[in-house]
Amino acid sequence: MDKTESDLDLPQVRTQNLDLYYGADRVLRSLNFDIPRGCVAAFIGPSGCGKSSYLRCLNRMNDFISGARVEGRVLIDGEDIYASGVDVIALRRRVGMVFQKPNPFPMSIYENVAYGPRLFGVKDRETLDETVRSSLEGAALWNEVKDKLNTPGTGLSGGQQQRLCIARAIATEPEVLLMDEPTSALDPLSTSRIEELIRDLKSRFTVAIVTHNMQQAARISDYTAFFLLGELVEYGTTSQIFTVPVDKRTEDYITGRFG
Amino acid sequence: MRKFFDKAATLVFWGTALALGALLAGVLGFVANRGWSAISWEFIFEPPRDGMTAGGIWTPFVGTLELIVVSMAATVPVGVGTGLYFSEYATDSFFTHVLRQSIRALAGVPSVVFGLFGLSLFVIFLGFGSSMLSASLTLACLSLPLMVTASEQAFRAVPQDYRDASYALGATKWQTIRKVVLPSAASTIITGVILSIGRVAGETAPIIFTGAAFYTPDVAQSLFDEVMALPYHVYVLSTAGTNIEATRPLQYGAILVLVGLVLGISSIGVWMRTRLTREK
Repeated sequence: MDKTESDLDLPQVRTQNLDLYYGADRVLRSLNFDIPRGCVAAFIGPSGCGKSSYLRCLNRMNDFISGARVEGRVLIDGEDIYASGVDVIALRRRVGMVFQKPNPFPMSIYENVAYGPRLFGVKDRETLDETVRSSLEGAALWNEVKDKLNTPGTGLSGGQQQRLCIARAIATEPEVLLMDEPTSALDPLSTSRIEELIRDLKSRFTVAIVTHNMQQAARISDYTAFFLLGELVEYGTTSQIFTVPVDKRTEDYITGRFG
Repeated sequence: MRKFFDKAATLVFWGTALALGALLAGVLGFVANRGWSAISWEFIFEPPRDGMTAGGIWTPFVGTLELIVVSMAATVPVGVGTGLYFSEYATDSFFTHVLRQSIRALAGVPSVVFGLFGLSLFVIFLGFGSSMLSASLTLACLSLPLMVTASEQAFRAVPQDYRDASYALGATKWQTIRKVVLPSAASTIITGVILSIGRVAGETAPIIFTGAAFYTPDVAQSLFDEVMALPYHVYVLSTAGTNIEATRPLQYGAILVLVGLVLGISSIGVWMRTRLTREK
């Protein structure tokens, strides 16, 4: 895709007057904010505040929930992903996702990473080998698994499995990487490895991450959005949100008065 | 008191499991004991001779294998396809509710009714005649409910996480089913196939009217030949043979081979299943 200079200056993900309904429930209320290219945006807030639902709007995974309905617009690279005629399959290729629980397929490590490229018709062995290697390197897993690529991905430790899922997600070379509490099922050591990885990844991808852990948001993100009851209470640079929050509710939440 | 009930419950369940095991061992022991003397190479590889009072069971043995293969060739694709429909495509509607209930009801229909159904549909209406094809299709109908239920369960047991991961990578529904759901469900589906084979191999009633031969000297060469089958052969020898007492060893021998065949197929299935599971 050709990108002009001005395209690159635009925020990569623009959310405009976004409402999400599950049946009659209004889960997200008039969200408006932009995520700039090549940065990490963290979404924080108490359980049920809508941050995960929002994340799933960005690759239209909410389409699978019956009764889910979206109003407003989400622009990724200037294209409204909810416009009629949008190819959802192509969208999901541009917007990768890593889930809360590590969910490698019951296949070999190699096949897990090659899954995405194979979907799009890559058959050439050398190309696949190269993609698998570079993706595993990108996910800081290559050195640990290079000698056992044909062993099951499910045989790895939890932290390794999650890095395998990251490798699998970046193997399709997305532009945006969504992460839904990617470390909540992991031990502290694995968590810090993944956090390190996320900081590296933003040079290549725009990362949107949902986290329950405020320290994590503070450590790894450039921008932070605070959600409450389906509303975006406050959005700004992470340092601003954590040091001089404008809204009283943000301050209460990050200082641990509720949540 | 609570402790007593706990102990008693353990004992009762342990006892029932033991009783089941003992029952199986008893049946196997009885059959093996009576039939063992009849088993020899000739017994398996020679057709019945002298008005079926001598010779072996080659013709019904091969006939049963043929019936298994042809009926599975019909029932597995249809059963797995229907299971896939129920698990992945069907929405909760009145129509699918009725479909589900019908399949459940079908599982409870006596096998002789399937036999009569096969007679009227395959033998007469479709004109396949009394043949291996009619008998196999009747057996396929009989094992279909089992196959459908087993594969639906297998597909439902595939974690949603796998599907989510696949969709999130840009897979279509069919790609997700073919590359993730089907392989993950394969081992459970194989269990369903084994159960179906066990059912099909042992049935007599559905094939009596549809394609089982009282006696043929040759192994069935085409789908439109009649076949001898082990269970029907045993039934014939023990009820309508020319010399029932004299053929007792043949009867038990044939049963032993039938049991061995089913157990053999089951163990191949179990082996395949563990291999598939291990690959994960």
